[in-house]
Amino acid sequence: MTKRTKGDLLLDTGVYLFLIALGLMMLLPLASVFSKSVSEEWAITSGKVGILPVGFQLDTLMQVISSSLFIRAFCISVGVTAIGTLISILMTALTAYPLSKRKLPGISFIMVLFIFTMLFSGGLIPNYLLMRQLHLINNLWVLILPGMISVFNMLVIKSYYESLPEALEESARIDGAKTYTILFRIILPLSMPVIATIALFYAVGYWNDYFGPMIYINETALKTLQLYLQDVVMDANSANLTNKSVDDLMNMSPEGIRAATVVASTVPILLVYPFMQKYFIKGVLIGSVKG
Amino acid sequence: MINRKWLTLMLSAGLVASLAGCGSSRNTNEERAAGSSAEQTTGTQTESGSKPELKTLNLWSKDDYNTYTLAKVVEEKTGYKVKYEMLPADKAMDKLNLLISSAEPYDVITINGEKAVYTDYAKMGALVDLTPLIDKYGENIKASISPESFEAMKVDGKIYAIPNRASEFAGSSLMIRTDWLDKLGLKMPTTLDEFTAVLKAFKEKDPGGNGDKGAPLSIDGAMATMVNVTGAFGIATSWNIVDGKLVAAPVHPGFKEYLSYMADLYKQGLLDKEFAVNKDATLKEKFTSGRVGVIPLAWYDIPGIADALTKNFPDAKYAYVPALKGKDGQAGIGMSGGFDRLTFIPKSSKHPEDAIKWINAKLDKETFKLIAIGEEGKHFTYKDGVYSPILPLFTDERGLASNYLTGIDEKLYPVYWQARVQKDPRLFAGFTFLNKEIPAEFRISDPLALAPSLPEYSKYNASLNQMINDFAVKVIVGEESTDAMAAFVEKYNAAGGEASAKEVNEWYASVKK
Repeated sequence: MTKRTKGDLLLDTGVYLFLIALGLMMLLPLASVFSKSVSEEWAITSGKVGILPVGFQLDTLMQVISSSLFIRAFCISVGVTAIGTLISILMTALTAYPLSKRKLPGISFIMVLFIFTMLFSGGLIPNYLLMRQLHLINNLWVLILPGMISVFNMLVIKSYYESLPEALEESARIDGAKTYTILFRIILPLSMPVIATIALFYAVGYWNDYFGPMIYINETALKTLQLYLQDVVMDANSANLTNKSVDDLMNMSPEGIRAATVVASTVPILLVYPFMQKYFIKGVLIGSVKG
Repeated sequence: MINRKWLTLMLSAGLVASLAGCGSSRNTNEERAAGSSAEQTTGTQTESGSKPELKTLNLWSKDDYNTYTLAKVVEEKTGYKVKYEMLPADKAMDKLNLLISSAEPYDVITINGEKAVYTDYAKMGALVDLTPLIDKYGENIKASISPESFEAMKVDGKIYAIPNRASEFAGSSLMIRTDWLDKLGLKMPTTLDEFTAVLKAFKEKDPGGNGDKGAPLSIDGAMATMVNVTGAFGIATSWNIVDGKLVAAPVHPGFKEYLSYMADLYKQGLLDKEFAVNKDATLKEKFTSGRVGVIPLAWYDIPGIADALTKNFPDAKYAYVPALKGKDGQAGIGMSGGFDRLTFIPKSSKHPEDAIKWINAKLDKETFKLIAIGEEGKHFTYKDGVYSPILPLFTDERGLASNYLTGIDEKLYPVYWQARVQKDPRLFAGFTFLNKEIPAEFRISDPLALAPSLPEYSKYNASLNQMINDFAVKVIVGEESTDAMAAFVEKYNAAGGEASAKEVNEWYASVKK
């Protein structure tokens, strides 16, 4: 242990102050939206709500949460996220395993195929036409199937597999284990940190997916939470006000409702983070070093 | 080395595949389009006896069309089962373009009163010509919608859409704190000079008691042409009649005077120094927190403002400023008009005849009233020619009624509609003041409200308005002097102003005859 010099102390203070400032810069807008969602409307209108709520009430949040459109969109998002994450993580882990074996015949060709999709895609319109031909428009599977495996995530898992000592597999084989036993009983349990991290990536990706549903989902009954949120927030955007009729203007949601919708659709996915935290840091680190 | 070879191979393969893909998909699309139109003609023949389910596309609404009370009412009255879908709230027209060009089989599509969008589709041949269908099945449609409105819908002499004509009214004016006036013993200003004097008194004597001596008047930076005050210079609407011709605001002689008046207010510190960056919300914030005493405000925003204002200042009172008179007694508040909604049937519809029958059935006198304002005694009361809403049921079950109207009874709907304005007494008071108490000669109609789609005009309108606003802001803050006016008009004309004026006046001359 060397003694800390004054310079070190100064540097540390500087770094901490900078990081605290940076953290606050990201936290404050969120805090403001949160307090707007629990403040009274008159206080929002007169600009009194900053970081702390004014006139605390939960009616606005309750009103948002009990709206039938919100509930339906919420259920759809939860469903897509849960099923999508499960399928994605399973398929990604399964794809990565054979590719982690250098002896696999034609491996460089297969890898090029995968990498190719990372760099090039057909573009929006051809994709839309393809989905239409596959009868996936207005079908929730369109949100899961085309992006089922993220090649980047697959590579992270693959490199994690490669980092596991080969002796483990050899000894298992000597004990009489077949490939699937090895994968499911030895490799996967050992890879939990990276699997959990990638699962979190997928879950957040599915939850926040806005573009896919916007393009492929027209039916009101199938709208995801992010689409609903976008509608509620953008309804009051000045660009969308110009052609509104008076009746529509009179029916517009006040700012409190919009803030509450943002809160109600962000909090659920935030709650996932603490549970994944301990895997999260470890998993990303390992993937990045070996990747 | 090996990798690179593979990559080149893949690239070229991908290129070839994508080219082939594009080609073949275009073919299949054409085939499909041809197939669906054949299907469509046979479909309508076989189904003429029964009523098919209709698929409609509508504007975004905060409640689901399918579950809102009115969906059931419409189904019971018309006998048609309808599946409602919504456009997104943001970039709705982009999404509509995608749906139209991929020929999604909607039977009825309703959009805002954007004539330009509608005209484009009609010209592209994406819409069903309604003229023969209305003749055959549209008895109620013909009785409800005036020839004047249909005239505005005509594209190359054919009608492709059924319009919801908007009620014509003044939407906003200047809102002033009357308790500040009382405190200083001032009268409500009626002329521009009195208005300036009131602003000066507000600034010097600080009746709000906030001590910062800030400017008493604030406006939205995106609307530098201020309602009511513009009227005193003869430019209450963006096109005004001068010697029997329509003249756009920047070409109008009053525009320069208006700008120098505003620049003067700014220089004297009577107009908010930060007005250029004000958004609608900032404006309301400043007014309700007592920092400014005068803002332009629409009557439908009154309840929210009134709530906040009385919470902050229990003694606060507010009222609209009457139409301010300029030098030669000129005054006016611009009115909005035109069309709220346009309803059309795309070519990809599988049941165009049923769609028209459905629209027609909704315009039956009794049915229309039921959809628009509900049942007497349950949703509204009727007395002395006035429909008053019964709250809260009216708001709960008819608040979103305008979403279900495809075409309106143009004589009766404006009367029904006022029930909506009576939802809140404060809102109603504001509406009544602007539209009943201000003399009719000072309520200026938008001369272009009923114009058909004018291609040049709609092409340049948005960018020209932006240009006018930018220039107005610059002059008001003193960055440019009013002498730059001549150069600006030149630029404006070159940027499409002249072409617009020519087209607008050709149309105007044709209707004036």
